[in-house]
Amino acid sequence: MENRLPFIDVLGGPGGRRREDFTSFEYTLPAEITSLYALTPTETLYQIRIIDPTARQRFTFQPGQFVMLELPGIGEAPFSISSSPVRHGDIELCIRRVGNLTNFLARLTRGARVGLSGPFGTHFPVEEMVGQDILLLAGGLGIVPLRSPLSAVLENRSNYGRVDIMYGARNPAELLFTYQYEEWRRFDINLAITVDQAGPGWQGPVGLITEVLKERLGQAGSLATGTCAIVCGPPVMFRFVCDLLTRAGLPPQKMFVSLERRMHCGRGKCCRCNIGSTYTCLDGPVFDYWSVMNLKEAI
Amino acid sequence: MLFKVFAKDELPKLFDLLAANPVIAPVQKGVDQHGVPLFDFDVVHDFADLRLDYTSTIHSAKRYFLPYAETLATFTVDKGGWEKQVDLNIDRRQVLFGLHACDINALNKLDKVLVQSAYPNPFYAAKRRNMFIIGLQCTPRPQCFCRSMGTDFALHGFDMFLTDLGDSYFAEILSAAAFQFMARIVTREPGHDDHERYKAVVAEKNGRFQAKVDSSDLTKILDMEFESPAWKAWGDKCLSCGTCANVCPTCYCYGVEENVDLDLTGAVKTRRLHSCNLIDFAVVAGGHNFRPHSHARLKYRYYHKHRGFVEAFEEALCVGCGRCGEACLAGITVPAVIASVREGG
Amino acid sequence: MRGQLSYLGVELARPRVAFFELTSCEGCQLQILNNEASLLDFLSLVEVVNFREAMTERHDDYDVAFVEGSVSRADEADRLRAIRANAKILVALGSCACFGGVNQLKNRFRDLDWVKREVYGDFPIITQEVLPLSAVVDVDLCIYGCPIRKEEVEKIVTNLVLGKAISHPRYPVCMECQASQNICLFDLGEPCLGPVTRAGCNAWCPSNRRGCWGCRGPADDANLAQLEKIMAERGVSAEAMLDRLECFGGFATQADLLRSAAADGRKP
Repeated sequence: MENRLPFIDVLGGPGGRRREDFTSFEYTLPAEITSLYALTPTETLYQIRIIDPTARQRFTFQPGQFVMLELPGIGEAPFSISSSPVRHGDIELCIRRVGNLTNFLARLTRGARVGLSGPFGTHFPVEEMVGQDILLLAGGLGIVPLRSPLSAVLENRSNYGRVDIMYGARNPAELLFTYQYEEWRRFDINLAITVDQAGPGWQGPVGLITEVLKERLGQAGSLATGTCAIVCGPPVMFRFVCDLLTRAGLPPQKMFVSLERRMHCGRGKCCRCNIGSTYTCLDGPVFDYWSVMNLKEAI
Repeated sequence: MLFKVFAKDELPKLFDLLAANPVIAPVQKGVDQHGVPLFDFDVVHDFADLRLDYTSTIHSAKRYFLPYAETLATFTVDKGGWEKQVDLNIDRRQVLFGLHACDINALNKLDKVLVQSAYPNPFYAAKRRNMFIIGLQCTPRPQCFCRSMGTDFALHGFDMFLTDLGDSYFAEILSAAAFQFMARIVTREPGHDDHERYKAVVAEKNGRFQAKVDSSDLTKILDMEFESPAWKAWGDKCLSCGTCANVCPTCYCYGVEENVDLDLTGAVKTRRLHSCNLIDFAVVAGGHNFRPHSHARLKYRYYHKHRGFVEAFEEALCVGCGRCGEACLAGITVPAVIASVREGG
Repeated sequence: MRGQLSYLGVELARPRVAFFELTSCEGCQLQILNNEASLLDFLSLVEVVNFREAMTERHDDYDVAFVEGSVSRADEADRLRAIRANAKILVALGSCACFGGVNQLKNRFRDLDWVKREVYGDFPIITQEVLPLSAVVDVDLCIYGCPIRKEEVEKIVTNLVLGKAISHPRYPVCMECQASQNICLFDLGEPCLGPVTRAGCNAWCPSNRRGCWGCRGPADDANLAQLEKIMAERGVSAEAMLDRLECFGGFATQADLLRSAAADGRKP
């Protein structure tokens, strides 16, 4: 017998059987930026295409899921997919410049190569919302992950009841996707936008998103049974909005939030995104409010 | 389970057979200021360097599975674009000679989260699968609380496990490879006397445990005592230095660092062990820190190990080896922290 | 001829850099020159326009000024202000520039005239209280260490060229010391400032079995109070701990607090 023990290749040779897929780590899909569109001075909308046609065809996702995007030596970070889950092809990511990766991304030009992996995480269960009214509440950059379930709803608009978008931004200049508001309204979406500070030419409401929501709730202060809410925004917004919705009679399992944490892996291994004992990357980023209520330090 | 018994002078022969592969084993690294020997795991070439009488090692053997710093990928970058190269950083089988039950159980726990989960980590799995492990019955120290954590015995996760019966070793053989090696030294079938001696050794071991952790209902107690003043008291002591995570056999949390080469033609992506006690563990893009205070970070460490992991895997992410408490300059030990939290501060 | 720098298709400007020294041993600059294996790569990443220790040519049109040393004379303060006026980015290079360094040890003595007489006798020399750069001008970036680590400077310069944010480890040296599998020096009976000092040196001294003297200054949220207790428990005198805390100037604030606490404690 040979004293040297045989090496085991966990990635498996040809025909090698393995239970786990060990290639989900680091073996990223080569992709390219097919367009960059500056929505504001700090946010850019990127269209990204997986280069290999087979992998592109195989890449499907649910609204609310995220991808990890990588640039060599610059960084890797999670980004919510902001485009329609129904259509194959390029995915859209709306990214604010806040750190090394996002700043460098904004300097790239069309055709630049990026690494993509995913999709990861939980999603907004729009398939379970069929036949119901939907409230989409977004604060600031929170509109980005909401745009994906919204697109899914628009694809099958007649499947859903009344749909409201309530969107708050700091000022009119920071509003995202302004070019789509008319289209959304054409699809019979009630769009209410509010800003903290009015700018020149601003004629809409000024104030907190909770005010807009109160208006929607009306005198009765309650919602029709069979209403679902999707909430996404800064941590402080969650509590106020979800409290209001709870008082309006919405059960916690019908409210969905998307949480944001720093992730180094996106695969439940680095623990940087943990909230208490929950992985934002695996158990989230989309949680129903019941799960969030039970998490320490969540919002 | 297959049992064999062999005379002590057969062990060097077994070592020499296995030494065709790199062997990692406990060695003495020095003595402390009071003359007490200090042990650690290292690559061993000579059986004489092996210290099978070791009490515990300063650091766990984790670095051979989860190196403190590891290259996850390298990139070549040129005008046309870039390419990524991934290497799992292992190309041969390694032998771990003399791992105590706590450390084997630590690997079994890491397997659950790193391999038997969604998105298994190939860097860990490759090293784990290529490790040939010989376990060794220990002699508990006063600070060991593995018995409280249910990790004082290893049921699996090794190839062979040895118990010192005085003039011979009692061997549990778990893998075919171990069985084949055993066939090449002189062994015999254990008899009634060997079984009795084995049981006596284990009974003697069980009598030595001193430190205890009461883990009954702990997940609930931790939730109830989330605001306990005990956390603040321990947080005030904590140096936020990450030593506990470094010596721990189960801490696996990490951070990723990306660096571009000086000549701009390549880049390296490095995984580094991070510690939830370090100040920047929960900092997010834009600079917000979800846990700016040391007591919140220390509490998080206990929540991950004794609540979150229990919820996910029905066991704690702690094997009671006592290394963290021993290495902590501030004297923060798991039994003391948990006892004080149970008492409500 | 050196071409345009670029990375991932993004064109990058090659910064014009200059090196200067005030009161120092010039050891930090020597560290940069020492790195023969990567010196050429380093030099192709930047354009060095002023480096007295390495070249004779000099220009004053630079983007980044690396300043080594502390300010110990009025004319050095003037020179530093002139450098600041020229530079877009002023980098404090090494412990002297960041904290005053070993030079500031003389500040421990209240009577600086006595210090001058003790050291220089009647020799006519102008010297004043030793100051870190930040006491005279705005400093954009600190590179810690006595001496600096050349690998760290290279990383920082690469990141400057790429436009990446420069960040230092925020945690203490222990993290790197443990990862180097060292025996804790406290176990060997030697005091060490590793638990409170900013990491980034890869535990250079402790890995060579020498306790840390804190040349990189305090880690974020350093727990000095606990280290004091640890030192006391292990029989290290307050004065011995102060020797270390005061050596490089990074812990000046904490050392002052300790001294005044000790003085208060002695009062009847």
